[in-house]
Amino acid sequence: MADAICRVLRDGALEGEHATSLTINDSVDSPFGPIVFDYIFTQLSSFISSGKSQSRGIVLVAFSRSPSFTVELLKSRGIDIATTHEWLRILDCYTDPLGWKERLKERGAIKTPSTEASLIVNLCKDVRNLDGLFSLIIALGKGLVGEGKSRFSVAIDSVSEMLRHTSLSSVASLLSNARSHAQISSVFWLHHFDLHDMKTNAAFEYMSSMVANVKPLATATNVLRENSENLSLLEQNYKRGQFHASLKRRNGRVRIMCEEFSIGQSLVKFTSMSARKNETAQSLVPKVQFNLQLSDKERSDRAKVVLPFEHQETEKSVQIYDGRKSETEGKYDSSTEKLQKQEDSRRGEIIYFRDSDDEMPDSDEDPDDDLDI
Amino acid sequence: MATNKGRTSSFSRNFSAAPTSSILGLKYGPNGTIFLSSGVPDLDKILGGGFHLGSLVMIMEDTEAPHHMLLLRNFMSQGLVHNQPILYASPSTNPRAFLGTLPTTLVSKDDRSHNADAEQKDLRIAWQYKKYLGENKPHIEERDGKVEYCNEFDLRKPIEKHLIMGNRVECISLLDCSSLAGFRDSCSKFLSQLPRYDGNITSAGRIAIQSLCAPQCEYFDKDWDMLSFIRSLKSMVRSSNAVAFLTFPASLVSPSVSKRWQHLADTLLSVKAIPDEDKELANLLTGYQDMLGLLSVHKVARFNTQVPVILDATTYSIKLQKRRSLVLECLNQAPVDGSSGSSYGTSGSCSGSSKTGTLDF
Repeated sequence: MADAICRVLRDGALEGEHATSLTINDSVDSPFGPIVFDYIFTQLSSFISSGKSQSRGIVLVAFSRSPSFTVELLKSRGIDIATTHEWLRILDCYTDPLGWKERLKERGAIKTPSTEASLIVNLCKDVRNLDGLFSLIIALGKGLVGEGKSRFSVAIDSVSEMLRHTSLSSVASLLSNARSHAQISSVFWLHHFDLHDMKTNAAFEYMSSMVANVKPLATATNVLRENSENLSLLEQNYKRGQFHASLKRRNGRVRIMCEEFSIGQSLVKFTSMSARKNETAQSLVPKVQFNLQLSDKERSDRAKVVLPFEHQETEKSVQIYDGRKSETEGKYDSSTEKLQKQEDSRRGEIIYFRDSDDEMPDSDEDPDDDLDI
Repeated sequence: MATNKGRTSSFSRNFSAAPTSSILGLKYGPNGTIFLSSGVPDLDKILGGGFHLGSLVMIMEDTEAPHHMLLLRNFMSQGLVHNQPILYASPSTNPRAFLGTLPTTLVSKDDRSHNADAEQKDLRIAWQYKKYLGENKPHIEERDGKVEYCNEFDLRKPIEKHLIMGNRVECISLLDCSSLAGFRDSCSKFLSQLPRYDGNITSAGRIAIQSLCAPQCEYFDKDWDMLSFIRSLKSMVRSSNAVAFLTFPASLVSPSVSKRWQHLADTLLSVKAIPDEDKELANLLTGYQDMLGLLSVHKVARFNTQVPVILDATTYSIKLQKRRSLVLECLNQAPVDGSSGSSYGTSGSCSGSSKTGTLDF
């Protein structure tokens, strides 16, 4: 299922469509967002380097981890780094995001060791200027794939870091410009959703065609309790978690998928999850016509309601059966008889007033004769 | 002209100049109101005739599905077919490109085929009787060369080029407006050419605004600016011969602000996405396989009257009939097979990816 997401990113966007975009949400309860991000990044990189994807290159905007980390990561996953200069560019927003080191260097205050000039790493010194950042990304991408119809992908390591420096609407406009750019085939980013308010999280969900949530396996409600069960649950949360994804399909429907994952040796393994009851159906649809289902409470209430009945064609008087045996009431008393109330439940009452007490029920006339079927 | 059948009030209006209104694509309604078609025949029927002229229509978007775009496209295409001036605003850099995705009118040889099918069924299924009774009266009023009030649109084919050329549609990008003041001035200029008098109507116009509070707009966090813009738009539209159609993703603004937006609307609809391959929903509803989403009607505009509209149902399913035209259907619960406890819903293939033109996600 995480592989399904990677495949969607690999396939990219059709002509005239916005680029597919993925938000990876994590929180402090299950902080494995970066690991999932790395997984998806390496999957997509292997697709790109072997030429199986729509995009022919990928630009990584690295805010939270240094570029050398990424290179090591690719090496450890078995991707040939000798050829990375053909399909990978890293925009380094980690080393000197606000340009302070540059300014100190100019004044001679610090002497930095000579940074290795790498083919694939470009330094960005002002992350607050998002227009400049965007044009840098486009320039790097075009450098990779050239002009024309070829496309590239963009990965942003931690949009939460971007939001530290700039406002939401400028980040949102950068992402929407990326999505509508003709040469970008897919965009994905990491987002720590518990660091931001609801509006921000809703805005990122709005702009993504896929949302992946990394959640703990079971939420431990009371952490401080010295319960061995809870502790083992917490321990489990350090190694495992749930992976929820919702994909927006082209026909307008949303596909929801669920998986478990476990972390071992900084590698993540996805396994299918035990089936859970999906309770969205009833909540989504309002009271539908002809809903003849009775809830349990309704059923029990219905069973408790006692209906009055009259005997016809017999000499018996009108009775209201109220659960008590051998009860014979007079005609007039029965009309105002109240049902016996129980202390613990509210029962429905039927108070039956006859139209006319003089009229005897016509025993030889069938009232159904009036119906014309 | 006084009618003897079904008088809804003691007063009867002396209708005059009915032909001109059909040229403009307008229809007279009760209580001295005039209707403009929404472009979706089922929606016009649900709302009692269409959108009131002078009203503000709001659609609450669902962030997970682009169904509001279907309604928007039909609304704009209907305006183009009726030669009504249109102002279109969206938060994209090139809004004019959207015009190429508008649908064209459906040239139907087999007109109203689903009605014909209904007549031929000799076994009527009683629990769905509403489908077969009453609604067989064709919505199309005149057919020989005169303008229809509400067209059906074929979402698979783009609109004819000559309709979108020229200056018929004014396009504005919401990204250019750092505050909404400039946009408000453009709207007021557009509406000044459509003033409302007591005399005959010369023209009617449409304003279509897509995703007013999209996060990439600079004014996104200025809640009160957006609210005051909507209020002034509503008052401008009320005194002119136009309908303003606005979509907004309600979950992107805070709940209290969203409530204020909703209260400002004259007619309020919302669209909702449905999960894919959901077995529970498939058992609960008939026709789940063809459904794209759900449309809910929250508020219907009532002008010049105190009587509210009470609808039979407020939620409808959005479907594409023959994959090309938009229909809204009542939700019907699937019959439950008593023996096995599960419904015998249709076992068809999934609707797959029905191409409805380019969709933007």
